[in-house]
Amino acid sequence: MEAKGAGSYLPPSDYPAKRLVVDVERKMQRRTIQNLSLGGFSTPLVFIITILIFWAFSPGHRFLDPRNVAAIAKLTPDLGVVALGIGVLMICGEFDLSIASVLPTCSFIFTQLLMAGVSPFVAFVLLLPIGAVFGLINGLLVVRTGLPSFIITLSTMLFWRGIVYVASGLMPISILPYIPTGSPFAQMLTGQIGPVPVQLLWFLGIALVLGVVLHFGRLGNWIYATGSNQDAARAMGVDVRLVKIVCYMIVGSLCAFAAMMQATRLGSFAATQGIGFELKAIAAVVVGGTSLRGGVGSMVGIALGVFIIQILENGLILLRVPVFGVNTFIGLAVILFVIINNLTNRQLAGQGF
Amino acid sequence: MSSQKMHRRDFLAVTAAAAAGGLLAPMIASDVLAAPAGQKPAEGMYFRLVTHGGDDPFWAVVKQGMMDAAELYGCKAEIDLAGSDLANQQKKFQEAVASKPNGIALVINDDQAWDKPVEDALAAGIPVIGINNDDKEGAAGNKRLCYIGQNERRAGYIIGRTLFEAGKAKGIDLTKAHVAMAAEVPAAMYAQVRSAGVKDAMAEFGITSFEMIDGGGIEMTTNEQRITAYLLAHPETTFMLGAGGICTDRLTSALKNAGKAPGEVIAGGFDTAPGTVEGLKSDYVLATIDQQQYLQGYFAVIVLYLYNKLRLTPNIDTGGYLVTKENIEFIEPLSGKYR
Repeated sequence: MEAKGAGSYLPPSDYPAKRLVVDVERKMQRRTIQNLSLGGFSTPLVFIITILIFWAFSPGHRFLDPRNVAAIAKLTPDLGVVALGIGVLMICGEFDLSIASVLPTCSFIFTQLLMAGVSPFVAFVLLLPIGAVFGLINGLLVVRTGLPSFIITLSTMLFWRGIVYVASGLMPISILPYIPTGSPFAQMLTGQIGPVPVQLLWFLGIALVLGVVLHFGRLGNWIYATGSNQDAARAMGVDVRLVKIVCYMIVGSLCAFAAMMQATRLGSFAATQGIGFELKAIAAVVVGGTSLRGGVGSMVGIALGVFIIQILENGLILLRVPVFGVNTFIGLAVILFVIINNLTNRQLAGQGF
Repeated sequence: MSSQKMHRRDFLAVTAAAAAGGLLAPMIASDVLAAPAGQKPAEGMYFRLVTHGGDDPFWAVVKQGMMDAAELYGCKAEIDLAGSDLANQQKKFQEAVASKPNGIALVINDDQAWDKPVEDALAAGIPVIGINNDDKEGAAGNKRLCYIGQNERRAGYIIGRTLFEAGKAKGIDLTKAHVAMAAEVPAAMYAQVRSAGVKDAMAEFGITSFEMIDGGGIEMTTNEQRITAYLLAHPETTFMLGAGGICTDRLTSALKNAGKAPGEVIAGGFDTAPGTVEGLKSDYVLATIDQQQYLQGYFAVIVLYLYNKLRLTPNIDTGGYLVTKENIEFIEPLSGKYR
């Protein structure tokens, strides 16, 4: 099946190389636009319905109480920023479970730099490439071994978790002496502009940049091509390995960013930062209409998926569902959303959209 | 740094003086305890602490207590960590027995598995005491000589009572009060037993409404999200507790997210994580319980020494120390090494 698909991309031997590239790019452009409109249609609908349901049924319409909206806007980006990267990576056809350990490891390194007297701004600039190195390691392991990324990054997750536990002794470290509440650095990552938490603006800004890269750039085309059919992409001259490594490095950098943003808000490093994010991020990305098999998904969908996952938890508690049962409902809802997503996508595709 | 060192030294001195004054003073005259000139009292003795613990700050503090007591008394002591692996811990216990020490302090984290090993060790003439965790039935369930550790139920009772007393002093009608307790892992033993202690205190104050909140695991933001949503959904919440260190750390932020003023919801919990310390200072958190696990390592050595010399078998409750705004300045610099 795959070989056939690959074959169809193979040009006749006398086909001019330049022509091939243009052809292929056009083909990919079409696919990208298709993805954009499909993924970008059902998820917003689900998002709006979710909000309406929680607004209507929460006692006193508490769901849209400004305090609740502010809390969601402030807390969601901790997971959300990382999930945006995971979305890109999953479109590329790979997973990264190690985020749950790379995040606290980055937070620990950040804290150590602060304790060594490094200015938080300098530490911030240093941490982003350090995060990318964690991604580079994952990426190299995945493309070099050819093993499933699920297994590779499960291993690196365990590896880095062990390292950060031993290095930190599991002890939380206060960073308030280095980044006092209200200091310029704290304002930059966790402050407010009017009523809007800065975290939300960072999240939206990063989503915008990744969206442009994904949907309007050459790299985006390569990512979709790699995710939908590696062999075909390779045949088209896409450096599949490089594309994957770049995606892993994006995830790593975003882990570093989220780690600093979260630590600054918490006022401390905690070895348990990010635990559980690995699966929550996948759930969010899938709810956002991304295919687990790669090649399908959109940035709008991913960003909304993140909010849907977080709003579910919040909204269910606001409905006064016994908190012990919340997980059950989240599980049910995720399945439901994925089914709805699949159905709408299929229907739209069937109608020739 | 120097003031921190001062505190540590003070603390050591205080503990040593308390131990010497409380336990030894009446017998200091007895020649049984008299060490030869120039020697420390327990010289030549060797003790083992066999724990289920891992390489984490809690056990680092227990170890510190053990080493300080061993240094003070001139004996040798070693701690075994088993990373919560019962089979591994049992192997460590057998190794400890085989090394023929003058005594073993054991974390009894299983009600059946330790019955026979402890009996066998005692029969072989090696004294075994319990630390940190005891058989559910205490002395009736396991032959260990005595037990040193935090009584979790009593600790829960103490934090509950402290918060409820504050509520009563504010003139709140406690019969209508609602108590919420967030737990990282609600099914875990610590959460169950501590909440039972809180319920003991509730009964005493005539409070009937209680709900346990699943904090969603040990991730910080997840806990904060859930506690925030709960506070917004349940404005009737009068008392908000954290069952463990992570939930308690997030209480302050969650209360702020929910638009509560300091003290509007009377809050408290366990441990002294950075967020909890900030909460105590800013009056969002009224009190938190410190386990004082240093004493578990420290007293293990001293009690085993006293058993060898005098066959004393005291049961010691090390926990239930209340940290409040008044004493936080003293406690904070000790965190990580002694607390």
